[in-house]
Amino acid sequence: MLIVEIVFTGLLMGSFYALMALGLTLVFGILKIVNFAHGEFFMIGAYAYTLLVVWAGLPQVPAMLSAVALGALAGVLMERLLMRPLYTGVIGPGALRDEYAIIVTFGLSLFLINLSHQVLGPYPVKGPDLVAVSRMELFGMFVSPHRLLASGLAVLTLALIVWLIRTTVWGKRVQAVAQNRFGAAIAGIDHARVSALVLALSGGIVALSGALLSPLFHAYPDVGAFPAVKSFVVVVLGGMGSIPGSILGGLLLGVLENFGAIYISYEYRDTFGFIILMLVLLLRPQGLFGERAREV
Amino acid sequence: MTRRLLLTLIALALGWPPAAGAQEPIKIGAPISMSPPGSVAQGKEVRDGLTLAQEILHKRGGVLGRKIEILYEDTQGIPEKGRAAVEKLITRDKVVAITGEHASSVTLADIEVAHRYNIPLVNTNAWSDAVRLKGYPQVFNRSNYNSRVAEAMGEVIAKMKVKHVVAFAENTDYGTGQAEAMKKVLARVAPDVKFTARVLDRAARDFTPAVLPLKAERPDMIVTIMIPPASYLLMNQLYENGIAPSKDTWLYDGAGVADYPDFWDNVKDAGVGLLSFGLYHPKMNLTPLGKEVRNLYIDQHKREPNRLIFQAADSLFLLADAITRAKSTEADAVIKALRETRFEGTQGLITFEKEKGLYFQQWKDIPYITYQLTARGQQLPETLLIQGPGVELSVDKLMRPAR
Amino acid sequence: MRRIALSPADHRLAFAVLGVVALIPLGVRSEYWLGVLITGLYFAMLAQSWNLLAGIAGLFSMAPAAFAMVGAYTTGLLHHHLQIGPGVGVPAGAVVAAAVGFGLGRITLRLRGAYLALTTLAFSEILRLVIANSIEWTRGDLGLSVPGILGGAKVPILYLFLGVLAAYQALLLLLLRSRVGLFLLAIRDDEVGAVARGVDLVRYKTLAFTLSAAGCGVAGALFVHFLQLASPELGLILQTGLVISMVVIGGMGTATGPLVGALLVEVAAEALREVGVRHLLVFSALVILVGRFFREGLMGLLARLAPGARLVARPASDAERLA
Repeated sequence: MLIVEIVFTGLLMGSFYALMALGLTLVFGILKIVNFAHGEFFMIGAYAYTLLVVWAGLPQVPAMLSAVALGALAGVLMERLLMRPLYTGVIGPGALRDEYAIIVTFGLSLFLINLSHQVLGPYPVKGPDLVAVSRMELFGMFVSPHRLLASGLAVLTLALIVWLIRTTVWGKRVQAVAQNRFGAAIAGIDHARVSALVLALSGGIVALSGALLSPLFHAYPDVGAFPAVKSFVVVVLGGMGSIPGSILGGLLLGVLENFGAIYISYEYRDTFGFIILMLVLLLRPQGLFGERAREV
Repeated sequence: MTRRLLLTLIALALGWPPAAGAQEPIKIGAPISMSPPGSVAQGKEVRDGLTLAQEILHKRGGVLGRKIEILYEDTQGIPEKGRAAVEKLITRDKVVAITGEHASSVTLADIEVAHRYNIPLVNTNAWSDAVRLKGYPQVFNRSNYNSRVAEAMGEVIAKMKVKHVVAFAENTDYGTGQAEAMKKVLARVAPDVKFTARVLDRAARDFTPAVLPLKAERPDMIVTIMIPPASYLLMNQLYENGIAPSKDTWLYDGAGVADYPDFWDNVKDAGVGLLSFGLYHPKMNLTPLGKEVRNLYIDQHKREPNRLIFQAADSLFLLADAITRAKSTEADAVIKALRETRFEGTQGLITFEKEKGLYFQQWKDIPYITYQLTARGQQLPETLLIQGPGVELSVDKLMRPAR
Repeated sequence: MRRIALSPADHRLAFAVLGVVALIPLGVRSEYWLGVLITGLYFAMLAQSWNLLAGIAGLFSMAPAAFAMVGAYTTGLLHHHLQIGPGVGVPAGAVVAAAVGFGLGRITLRLRGAYLALTTLAFSEILRLVIANSIEWTRGDLGLSVPGILGGAKVPILYLFLGVLAAYQALLLLLLRSRVGLFLLAIRDDEVGAVARGVDLVRYKTLAFTLSAAGCGVAGALFVHFLQLASPELGLILQTGLVISMVVIGGMGTATGPLVGALLVEVAAEALREVGVRHLLVFSALVILVGRFFREGLMGLLARLAPGARLVARPASDAERLA
């Protein structure tokens, strides 16, 4: 019985991990960079949803949609202002490109954290639940209805994004750029527009996860640290840039962490993800589900 | 603005001695938590209490004819930040005393600095016994202390005849200290009780992995030794998972958080049935000064004050009293005066023990109560009093949740 | 591409900055500002160490604060459990940090760019979480109380920090003026090319990691004896962010940039606090602007404004000497 509950709550958490990490995966696929400001889009989503409901009195659903839109907008702005030099050839090749990406995304992360701290203050604000009831019984175990519903929405969103990328024209363009930038350029695909689309998608998805999790994790300036590190682990685990890999990686991490916390050590539970990350990068850089080795 | 700033900077850089005119306000430093992971809620209560006391003192013409200026610094509840804040208050702002601190771990760092610079410090709400055991002559404790809570709760637990108690303690000196103290007390007053304590990270948000194993263990009681927001989150998750308060498992709070203004906003159904240790209840006796503080607070905030208001107000009153008797703000004179304190505070006559050890410079006889929350949204006056002034401890009154 | 690093003028300027800092206690008597300056020197040491790794060897590590924490906890734990004082604790801090740095350098040899950044970030978080959660050993978040040095007097402590920093700076100067410096730069700019020309990659990468970690370790160990408290706060990623900001603002890959960046950011942070602005807000904005528009930070600006100072080393000379 306990095992079932461990797997179940682990999968609930894992579905959120998968959702958070999907945007990071998409950006890595296109730009081959790790966005260190990824967690701050989560923060934007959590704040937007929470404050729109708590301060502006908006109902939950429009507030959540606005949060997604704001995250997407922030993604587009980031692409316009900071990501352009990555493919216009201004900053040179190789190491300098990596260095540039780390510095500006990390700088952006610090900037957004401190901006929200300056403007909104350090106080955590609890996000409003989607469901008013605080617990319900399901097959003999108590669960939080909000968590259940939020997890359902996360799974639906994941399915929707995968479907969009597999079937639509824009999705195919994204795939093309991810597979071969130069080939895609020859085929007439505008790298800048695809990048803008991907950053908007990434920002929107992670903002949604921020909004969904705000009743649990609250909204405050540093809240992005946690989703950022979980996303890093998931993306590495799933093979950098692989979408199915990162979804599986997210679910796996959720369950593994739950088992680890209960049967190995509760105190060290947050180190498990990092240990997995280091081991995968050092021993199997293509990730657990990666289909081919990537340049390391 | 910039020019003034520049001038101040130059003046400070040169170590300009402040002119000690009679009209200069008396500066008191108050390191408190204004941002996470520290308890922002506690910091706000302490600040409200200090401000209230400041107002009352000013109404009476100040101290030695001078106004009081309180300089607040944010410690974020982090020892290192607290150390830096106190260092700044003493070396840069030249405060004559420190008070207001409400987190044990930070206080332990603060008192090192106060000790080094020989500046008096009145401890407002650091419960850890270690603060007393240091034996620093500069430190005086208006605050409650862990051993007292452990004794009080141990008595209740023994009477309730529970068999298996699991405590969740936060990873601070307060949390681990109180768990330790409870273990000792229970071994003495209720040796049959199986007691285990688990340490939780106060900065964590999801306690599910810590809570789930309890479904298999089914303890008779869970004790929470945590401060908000972590304690609110833990209570919610205990409730969501159907663990406590339930028909099988009591929930007993040792941190006294049930009277915080934001308690019901955060805890909702999870708070119904909660048994709590407390340091203030409207049915407790207040001195005339205490009534003045209470009435002023109700005037301004339209609700019953919580215990921290009285503790913070007393902290400032104690300093004002000592400075008045010493007729000086000079550190040694104030410390000497504090040692001889016989001051009627808000909740009774305050004196400080002189013998080194657990009670060193501690107000020993701090009044306390035990009560249960029996309905959602219940305010202090309506709670079920289990034990307190004029009420003998009786556990038969306790309401057990239906499921 | 122009490069400021390692020009003789750059090195001279670095020592001149240290000389100026040495004069400050003659005029400033405020305990508070001396304390700020000591903190600035601590960060200068971390900045210089990180610059060796990231700015010069191109190894973008996210672990400088973690190595400082290793140094701090080495001396802290030695005192807490064995009552060993700073005389042994501080050198031990440097040695242990160096050993950990050597190990990390070895296992991450194949990684570059974002992969290296993620691995070092994971490594530094593991270290911090283990220290913060091993309450029986380390007292966790509460930190360890450690004894002060030099009677806690600010001026002697300041000169001690300055002396150690100058020694480290001199060590870097010797290293960077030798062939090793050129090898490190070669690894940064073209790893494959460097190997093809016979640069021993394993050796110089681990050397850079070890030296950098040792610098952070000694800084962390000294700093906690100044604070008299060792806490896991020292190892926060935010602290690493501060170090990176300082180096980027001052000028990555230069000798003077990290020093100027660290001292300026630390002192300016205190001034900004006065007007109620979060200093990190300003500095992170500066980091983005510098990263986006002028890569060489304040030093690059200086080189442009004062071409006569010959801060720019001619690229040709590097190539000639490597050949």
